[in-house]
Amino acid sequence: MSACSAQSGQAFVRLSKVGKSFRVEGGTIEVLCNISIEVADRQFISILGPSGCGKSTLLMMLAGLEPVSAGSIEIGGQSMRTPRRDVGVIFQDPTLLPWKSALENVLFPIEIFGLPFAKYQARAEALLELVGISDARHRRPRQLSGGMRQRVAICRALIHEPKLLLMDEPFSALDAITRDELNVTLLDIWERHHQTAFFVTHSIREAVFLSDRVVVLGGWPGQVVLDVAIPFARPRDLNIGESVDFNRICGELRRAIAENHARRVAD
Amino acid sequence: MSQDLLIADPKAVRDDRARDVRKLTRQTVLPVLTAVALLAVWQVSVELAGLHPAVLPAPGAVLETMWANRELLVVNAIPTAVETIGGFALSVVFGGLLGILLSYSTLARDSLYPNVILFQLIPKVAVAPLFMLWLGIGWESRLAISLFIAFFPIVISTVSGLNAADAAILRLCDSLTATRTQVFLKIRLPYSLPFLFNGMKISMTLAIIGVIVGEFITSQRGLGYIILFAGSRFETAIVMAALLVLCIVGLVLYGLVALTEQIIMKRFGE
Repeated sequence: MSACSAQSGQAFVRLSKVGKSFRVEGGTIEVLCNISIEVADRQFISILGPSGCGKSTLLMMLAGLEPVSAGSIEIGGQSMRTPRRDVGVIFQDPTLLPWKSALENVLFPIEIFGLPFAKYQARAEALLELVGISDARHRRPRQLSGGMRQRVAICRALIHEPKLLLMDEPFSALDAITRDELNVTLLDIWERHHQTAFFVTHSIREAVFLSDRVVVLGGWPGQVVLDVAIPFARPRDLNIGESVDFNRICGELRRAIAENHARRVAD
Repeated sequence: MSQDLLIADPKAVRDDRARDVRKLTRQTVLPVLTAVALLAVWQVSVELAGLHPAVLPAPGAVLETMWANRELLVVNAIPTAVETIGGFALSVVFGGLLGILLSYSTLARDSLYPNVILFQLIPKVAVAPLFMLWLGIGWESRLAISLFIAFFPIVISTVSGLNAADAAILRLCDSLTATRTQVFLKIRLPYSLPFLFNGMKISMTLAIIGVIVGEFITSQRGLGYIILFAGSRFETAIVMAALLVLCIVGLVLYGLVALTEQIIMKRFGE
């Protein structure tokens, strides 16, 4: 366990026997079953799994955007059924409003919450500075590159200082170089603000690089098949990716995914 | 980023500007030349064939008549324009409200939408005399006919516009606990604007048709009345002059909608 999670033993997010099934023609399909995960305050946890394993669905349930079919989700001691304002979500697509500038997009949650703009203006500009697109703050999304748009989305998710940050494969649509850059930026920001973070990805290296802990989902219906602590000290830089330990953990995760994937395909 | 890497190139800027000027010249000069050529052919053929002015007056004669009757034409163009704006405004209000109702209430959609479509299949000009029966021969019946003819495109464009919002953005709003009113004002309405303006452009051209039909039937005043009245007296030049004024009125009103669109879309476009 990393230093930061050891400081507070109390679980901030608690998933107890969470299951999810969808109604389809002729019956129901169970996509997730018996998911129990406890996440300490300020821990960075990645949910790793192949496409279609239900990891995005799990994140949407955490965001209160999808109802749970079985079990319960608690965040900060309160049951999570509908979206909450102390949660920030970064989606796979930047989902920016095309007629708003980067800065206005970052301030969009403030607009919805009806909070005073003046109070958050400086914070929005500081966040944009932190992700390195301060110069582009008055540009509209059409005039930004894909990586810059996702940077704006990161700032937007953090503007209202959420206690929990949920990320649904936020970098999967980007090229490898931009993706590395954004991983570094994300860690940089997270190390400053230090929220509890859930990161959904199908990239093993990305999960290991970012997280305190990686949970692998697999099988059908999806279950937790592996739960490993990532021991590297923070702050981290991309060079840890070359270390023996890093590659050993990646190998372990890869085998866990492959094993369960093979079994699922065989079913 | 690209701005930092920009290398100033005055020659390229000059070339671009020259290309823009050539394009603009082509786009304005060509249609004007074509129109002038057609008018010339018209003028010459009328003179060569020796047609009676009651059958087909020459363009020159139409312009002369227009100038001689300028007061009559302007006095009658004003009510036509005003009532068109009225019919258009009513269409936007009622069509918009109906569109919102159909988008937000499944009960309204299921019970009303098929009937609205059916209603639309009635040949509207044929129904116009009914409005005169109900509302008399004043402006009320002309506005009603105009509204009846022009509101449908607004309904359709509102319904499709309000459904055009990006699903991912709507999910973002859900995650931010946005209210239905906020989603409507801040997301759905801006996303619907391009659809609404398309509907409004069609509606404006239909509103003017509605008013002219009304003027045909109520026979009191307006360009439609002038066209009908002068036609019955074989004063073809006045009919054509009135048509020309009608074209100008329609062009200006359509232009106003297009201009509003340009201004609004600068704020709410990409």
